Amino acid sequence: MVDAARQPRIDLRAFTEVEKVEGFVGNFEVTLREKAKYVLADRCNGCGECARACPIEVPNYFDMNLAPRKAAYIPMSQSVPLIYSIDMDACIHCYKCVEACGQLEAIDFGQEDKLVKEDVGAIIVATGFGHFDPSVMEEYGYAHYPNVITSMEMERLNNSAGPTAGNLIRPSDHQNPQKLAFINCVGSRDKRYNPSCSNFCCMYSIKNAILLKQMNPDVEVTIYYMDIRTPSKGYEEFYDRAREMGIHFQQGRPSLITEDPDTHDLFVHAEDIALGKATEKKYDMVMLNQAVIPQPDQDHMSSVLNVAQSPGGWFMEYHPKLRPMDSPTDGIFFAGACQGPKDIPSSVAQGSAAAARASRILHSEEWEIEPTVAVVWPDRCSATTRGKACGLCVKACPYGAVKIEGDKAAEIITAKCHGCGGCVAECPEDAITQLHYTDAQLLSQIRAVLADKPEEKIVAFRCHWCSYGGADLAGTSHFEYTANERGLRVMCSARMDTDFIYEAYRLGAGAVLYSGCHPQDCHYITGQVIGAKRAKRLTKMFDRMGMTDGRFRVAWISAAEGDKYARVLNEMQAVLDAMPPEALKAEIDKLRPEMEKRLKKFPNVPGVSEAMAFSDTLTEAINEQKEVA
Amino acid sequence: MSHTTTMTTFADDVKAIPGGENLELCYSCGTCVSKCMIQQKVDPEYNPRRLLRMVMEGMKQEAFSNPTTWLCSECDLCYQACPQQIHISSVINAVKAIAVDDGKETILHTAKVNQQTCVGCGLCAEACPYEAISLVQTKVPFRGLIQVAEVDPGRCMACGLCSAICRSTSIGVQIEYSDEAIIENLWNWMLPQGVEE
Repeated sequence: MVDAARQPRIDLRAFTEVEKVEGFVGNFEVTLREKAKYVLADRCNGCGECARACPIEVPNYFDMNLAPRKAAYIPMSQSVPLIYSIDMDACIHCYKCVEACGQLEAIDFGQEDKLVKEDVGAIIVATGFGHFDPSVMEEYGYAHYPNVITSMEMERLNNSAGPTAGNLIRPSDHQNPQKLAFINCVGSRDKRYNPSCSNFCCMYSIKNAILLKQMNPDVEVTIYYMDIRTPSKGYEEFYDRAREMGIHFQQGRPSLITEDPDTHDLFVHAEDIALGKATEKKYDMVMLNQAVIPQPDQDHMSSVLNVAQSPGGWFMEYHPKLRPMDSPTDGIFFAGACQGPKDIPSSVAQGSAAAARASRILHSEEWEIEPTVAVVWPDRCSATTRGKACGLCVKACPYGAVKIEGDKAAEIITAKCHGCGGCVAECPEDAITQLHYTDAQLLSQIRAVLADKPEEKIVAFRCHWCSYGGADLAGTSHFEYTANERGLRVMCSARMDTDFIYEAYRLGAGAVLYSGCHPQDCHYITGQVIGAKRAKRLTKMFDRMGMTDGRFRVAWISAAEGDKYARVLNEMQAVLDAMPPEALKAEIDKLRPEMEKRLKKFPNVPGVSEAMAFSDTLTEAINEQKEVA
Repeated sequence: MSHTTTMTTFADDVKAIPGGENLELCYSCGTCVSKCMIQQKVDPEYNPRRLLRMVMEGMKQEAFSNPTTWLCSECDLCYQACPQQIHISSVINAVKAIAVDDGKETILHTAKVNQQTCVGCGLCAEACPYEAISLVQTKVPFRGLIQVAEVDPGRCMACGLCSAICRSTSIGVQIEYSDEAIIENLWNWMLPQGVEE
C-alpha cells in the first residue's frame, strides 16, 4: 500500500466514492465524490495530536467495534495515506483538535464534499466482500452469549496491533480461554441464508487454529466442519500440519450452542458423524466462521457501473472459465472477492490479470469490437413515427448499449454493443438491423433453402457459439442425421426474429428448429433468456393455431452436444415422416394466411441486392459514428 | 438382477412419494441428529442422517428394521435446522409407507381396541394426531355387527392420546403405559413424600 502511494503515476483517492460512470471502453467519464475529511490533506502530517486532544470516543469499525477510536481518527495505525479525518456524526464541535493542530492549521471545519470528474480508459473494480451477520441464526446465540464471537473479531483480539495487543481474552471475564471451538459454514452452504460455499473459511479456520496453538500449545482447539475443502497448492499439507499439532477436527454441523449463565461457558451440541452419536462439549469460547456475502451496497455499485450480478449477488464475469477477470462491459475488470468468494492467492492472480487486461486498452490507439453491431434506422423507430419510443430494445440489451433520450429515436452506443442481435429481433418496427445479419440477408437465406420442396425441409436456426458448434461436432463425429436439415447461423438465439419463423412457415417449411446455448453458457449474458422467452411465446402460439406437436421445436444444445443435435433433428424428421403428406400440406395451407397476416407490417422486405445496398449505407453510418466518438 | 439395480430402485421409490423427493440433497452434516430429541432421550440407535444414507445406498431391510423408520414423531425440529431444508420427517414417512406396503410392522406397541367394551363414539378418532383411528362396522362376538374403533398400526405412534380421551377405557397403548400402571407410578412417587411430610 505504501509502495502504491509512493508510485508517482498512481493517484490514490481515499475516502472517495464513485457516483456515476458514463461512456465506454477507452472513454469513461467517472464522477467521484471526494468526501469531506475536515482535514486539509496537503497540510496534515499525521502526527495524531488532534486525536489525542479529541474528547469523543466511538467504536472503531476496523477493530470490529471491540475498541474505541476518537472522533478525529485514522482507522488503523498503518493507514495510507496517513491523513486524519473528523467524524462529523460524533464530533461535538469543541475545537480542541484545532487548538492541538496549532501552527499547521490543517483542520478545516468548513470543508464540503466535492464532485470531481475524471476521464479514464479502463476501470478495475475491487470492492471486496461483506460479512454475514450470524446473529440471525438464533441457535448459535451470537450477540446473546458474550463468548460466542466471529472469527474476524477473534483476529482483532489475536492481533498484536489490535485492542488487546495480541492477548486473546474471552469477552465475559477477560480470562485467557483454554478450550476453543471454531464452527465452519455459519450461514454458508445453508439454503436458508446463502446456499454457496464461502471458499476460504476451511483454510482460514485452520490458519487461526494453528496460530492459537503456536502461541499457546496448551490450548485445546476443535474445528467443527461439514467438509474440509483444501483444493489449492500446499493447502492439504497445511491441513496435515494442523492435525499433527493436535488440533481436533470434528465432522458434524452444530445445531445448538447453550450457555452456563453463571460462568458463561458454552456447550456445543453436534453429532459426531464418525460415531453417529449426538455430543455436547464444553468450551470457553466459540468462534463462528461467518459466510462471505456481497458488499451491502453491491446492488448500488452494479447499477452505477452497469455491470450485471450473478444469482448470489456478486458481480458477473464475462465468462466463468475463460474470462473471469472481465466484466461483460468492455473496459471494466474485476479483481478479488467482488466477483465471488476468493482467497488471497486467487485475488492476487485475478488482480494481476485485470491489470494486464486494462493495460492492453491503455496501450492501444484503437480498440477492435465485434463487426456484427446493431444499427438503428431512426426513420422507422416509434419515437419518430409515433412520438414515443417503445423501449423494447433497451430492455433486450444485456450491455446497456441502447440509449433513448427524451423523445429521440433509440441510439446504439457502438462501442458497447457486442452484437447479439437481441434488440434487432425485439424491435416491433424493424427499425434496428444487425450488420452482417440483416433481416434481408437472413430472409433471403430462408427463401433460398425453402425454394425447392419446402415441406420436406427442416429449417434449423442455430446460435453461433453453441448450437452451430454442436452441429459441427455432429458432422465431424459422423453422427448421422437427416439430410433435410438446413442450418442457418445467427449470433445468438436472441436474434431469432419471430418474422424468420413466420416466413419459414409461410413458405411451407416442414419444421423449424429454434436452438441456442444453455442459459448459463450464453455468450451474451442474458441473450439466451430473451431468445427463450420468445421461443416459449411462439410455442404457445403455434399450439393454439393447431400446429402438430414437434413441427416447431426448441432445443438448447451446447457445442459439446453433437449427439443431441443429431438426435433432435432425427426426432423432428420422425415427426414429419409420421404425417401423411396430404395432412402436412393441409396444415401448411391452413397456417399460411395466419403467417401472412403476421408478416404484414413487414411489407416490402428488400431483396438481396437491396439488402447489400442498405448494409453499405449502415456501414457508412457506423463510420460516421466512429468519427464522432 | 444385479445388486446395483435394487439399490437405485429403493431410493427412487422413496423419491416418488411426495415429501421424499429431497432425499439426495443430504450431505450428512448431522444437524438433524444433534437436534433430535428421540435420539437423545429415547433410542441412541435412532439417526435420521443414517436412515437417509441407507435409503440412498439401497439398504432396504436395514432401513425397515431401523428404529428411525418407526419412531419419528414429526416434531420437525430437524427441518427448521437443516441447512439443505430437507423435510426429513416426510422422507422418513415415505420410507415408512414403503415398509408398511412391504408387510413390515411397527416396532411400537400401538394402541389396541377392546371390541367388547367399545361404544363406537369416535372420540379417539377425532383426537388422534396421526389419523390412525377410524370407525368400522365389525362383527364382534356376543355383540353382533356394530361400529367400533379400529387402529391402523402403520400410522399409530403409540402416544396414548386415545387412551386418555376414551370414556369407556376401551382403547389403550402398551402395558407399562396403561391407566393402571400410570396411576400406580403416580402413587409410588407421591406416597413416600406424603409420609415424610
